[in-house]
Amino acid sequence: MSDGLIRLLDGNTFVVSEETGDIDASPTFPTGFFSFDTRFLSKWILSINDQRVNVLTIEEIEYFESRFVVVPTLPTSRLDVSVSAIRERCIGGSFTERLTVINHEPEPVDLRIRIDVESDFADLFEIKDVRNKKGTYYTRMDGGCLLLGYQREGFRRETLVSSTVPGRIDERGLTYHVRIGPRGQWITDLHVRALGLGGRDLRESLEGRPGRTKEQIRQDLDDRLAAAPRLTCDSPTLAMAYRRSLADLHALRFSPLTAGVHAVPAAGLPWFMAIFGRDSIFASIQALPFASDFAATTLRMLTLRQGAVLDDFREEEPGKILHEMRYGETAGFEEQPHLPYYGSADSTPLYVILLDEYERWTGDAAAVRLLERSARAALDWIDEYGDIMGDGYVWYQRRNERNGLENQCWKDSWDSISFRDGRLASLPRATCELQGYAYDAKIRGARLAREFWNDPAYADRLEREAAELKQRFNRDFWISDGEYYALALDGDGRQVDALSSNIGHLLWSGIVEESRAGKIAEHLLGPRLYSGWGVRTLATGEGRYNPIGYHVGTIWPFDNAFIAWGLRRYGFDQEAGRIAEGIIEAAEYFDGRLPEAFGGYDRTLTRYPVLYPTACSPQAWSTGTPLLLLRTMLGMEPRGEYLVTRPAVPASMGRIELLHIPGRWGRASAFGRARPERR
Amino acid sequence: MNPTTRFFEALGQRGHEPLLEEATGTIRFDLTHEHRVDRWFVAIERGDLRVSREGGEADSVIHTSRTTFDRALAGQSLYAAWLRNELTIEGRNRSLPRLFTRLMPGRPGARHPRDFRRERRSAA
Repeated sequence: MSDGLIRLLDGNTFVVSEETGDIDASPTFPTGFFSFDTRFLSKWILSINDQRVNVLTIEEIEYFESRFVVVPTLPTSRLDVSVSAIRERCIGGSFTERLTVINHEPEPVDLRIRIDVESDFADLFEIKDVRNKKGTYYTRMDGGCLLLGYQREGFRRETLVSSTVPGRIDERGLTYHVRIGPRGQWITDLHVRALGLGGRDLRESLEGRPGRTKEQIRQDLDDRLAAAPRLTCDSPTLAMAYRRSLADLHALRFSPLTAGVHAVPAAGLPWFMAIFGRDSIFASIQALPFASDFAATTLRMLTLRQGAVLDDFREEEPGKILHEMRYGETAGFEEQPHLPYYGSADSTPLYVILLDEYERWTGDAAAVRLLERSARAALDWIDEYGDIMGDGYVWYQRRNERNGLENQCWKDSWDSISFRDGRLASLPRATCELQGYAYDAKIRGARLAREFWNDPAYADRLEREAAELKQRFNRDFWISDGEYYALALDGDGRQVDALSSNIGHLLWSGIVEESRAGKIAEHLLGPRLYSGWGVRTLATGEGRYNPIGYHVGTIWPFDNAFIAWGLRRYGFDQEAGRIAEGIIEAAEYFDGRLPEAFGGYDRTLTRYPVLYPTACSPQAWSTGTPLLLLRTMLGMEPRGEYLVTRPAVPASMGRIELLHIPGRWGRASAFGRARPERR
Repeated sequence: MNPTTRFFEALGQRGHEPLLEEATGTIRFDLTHEHRVDRWFVAIERGDLRVSREGGEADSVIHTSRTTFDRALAGQSLYAAWLRNELTIEGRNRSLPRLFTRLMPGRPGARHPRDFRRERRSAA
């Protein structure tokens, strides 16, 4: 399944091009060469004798390199191709392309080979409408290089294009007049660098060190794949998805300033190649049994940027964990609040959950002690700044009314929180899963306080608060006529009564009364929420349901993975298995790479999962989904110093073996086999 | 006295700052002002602070103008100044400056989320 675009990435540096390898930026999709939220190439077009090229084949070798075989566009398809070209492209620190032009004829040919180059230096936030930029553009040609630049006050970004074979350079590109001998070829290596202040490599000028070379990236990837647990299984799709996930998680690796050599997963290509608190946390939790270093770095990185003061523009509060961090022009001039932006009501409790889960897997007690102050600040945030109404729930209402987010939960599009009849909820809003996370954070915080912070009184208090929250929640959120939990409470204290996937996260958090879990499982697997592939974000029949509505009907793989985990927590093994099965079967249609979201159409209607039009892919928490599903199917849980497994493998999966699972136990293994299906 | 000098002197008197308990190391601030460089050393040991005008090796050096620093003390982001190249950071320890920004105030007029809700409610 393809959208006709080819992506190469290395953390927050990436290239998105057409299938020919050309870049010709359009307002609807951000093709180009990007680094640190700025576009450094908006045009990169190859032509041979004034003809654009057509693609014959594309080989996506690894996430950081690909090979395009192209031919000049021909007037009719019947003519034989006398010339072809190979574009071998790689990203790693900078963008390189080896261009090989081949003459297939027994006679020499004279060719005019041209690369058109342009950059609009768009900030990712203005990509849909790059106009009226406040700075000035400049172009220089010197030393055989083409330099494109943009400057606004001290903010400067430059693109430097060079070529091993000298070409004729003008302000709009490079031209080569070449004669290629009979059956001969001509090669040049093109190199495009993104520069920051003083002509230094952008990554170096922002981070104090250059990006990784292609060789380093390859070595890192090989090391990572070799260190990961080994999966043997009957399902080829699961095996493919697993391999893909490990590689993509590596591709999304992003080393923010201050992280040193450590990395966190950026959220998703192309819109979200940045640090997101929520996305990094969810992806790190999913990856814990496979690569715990993501969790360690995520915790460290989020702690460094934990909120300290009140700020309305950034929606910062003391103890709050960030939502999003960007490095573009609009952030630099504080036109966008992303340095960092704190508009998320769940990242703070999720931070505590990650810290506890991290310790349970790794036994890294030193980290828990080191992060005591910040974890307490996060727990305090829940009661002080999260509880806007003073009634013991976590709420949100944006204070940045210009460009803050209206919805500060994971379903953060404007229309995600509605009543059955489609009316939007009034502000502030307390979505149900936020209460689940707060409950879980308190329970886990209590364990940390008792076992590591030597503060049993605080632990008792947190547990008491958690128990009260659970009781209150089950009273106020339960919709008795539908027998499920409300999506949210609104500012007027009303239950926002739409049936949504959010109720599944409640199982994961453990806030659901035991006696009600059965009903919740029934809804989740019922025809209104379950499509045959997975659980829809919003149930069919709801006023705003739309099978391709971003948060109002599509299916999010990550959402389903956490729902499956929650179902197992309450003993609904078969139901969890059905969800795992459906999502992994869907992965087959995406070559093992689950997108951010896909359509909520009934499986029997479309037969294949329908790609959401502008879905990000790879997307960190979708990438983490097969990993969490594996954990769920094998029932892997750390208990003290051991890894306990309680496999419940769905029938179609057959046998699953996962060897060398790293953790505080050293390395352990997990085996699961489906029971023969009962007829 | 300008805001920057006031800030560093007050910081020196604080002795301990819980928000910097994750930090250990020395930051040197080189703040240019009228062709001079105002220099401050802030030595942090798990939140214990010592501020001086002279010192030795620093783990991290921040170069900017005193005007930029004054503005940061009025609520403008130091981080943004860094992106605009009005501020540069040198040195091995890149987390120290990040932790230090916790001491910078937010924009003036910021509200507690509860107060904000009340304002909006009564305006409605």
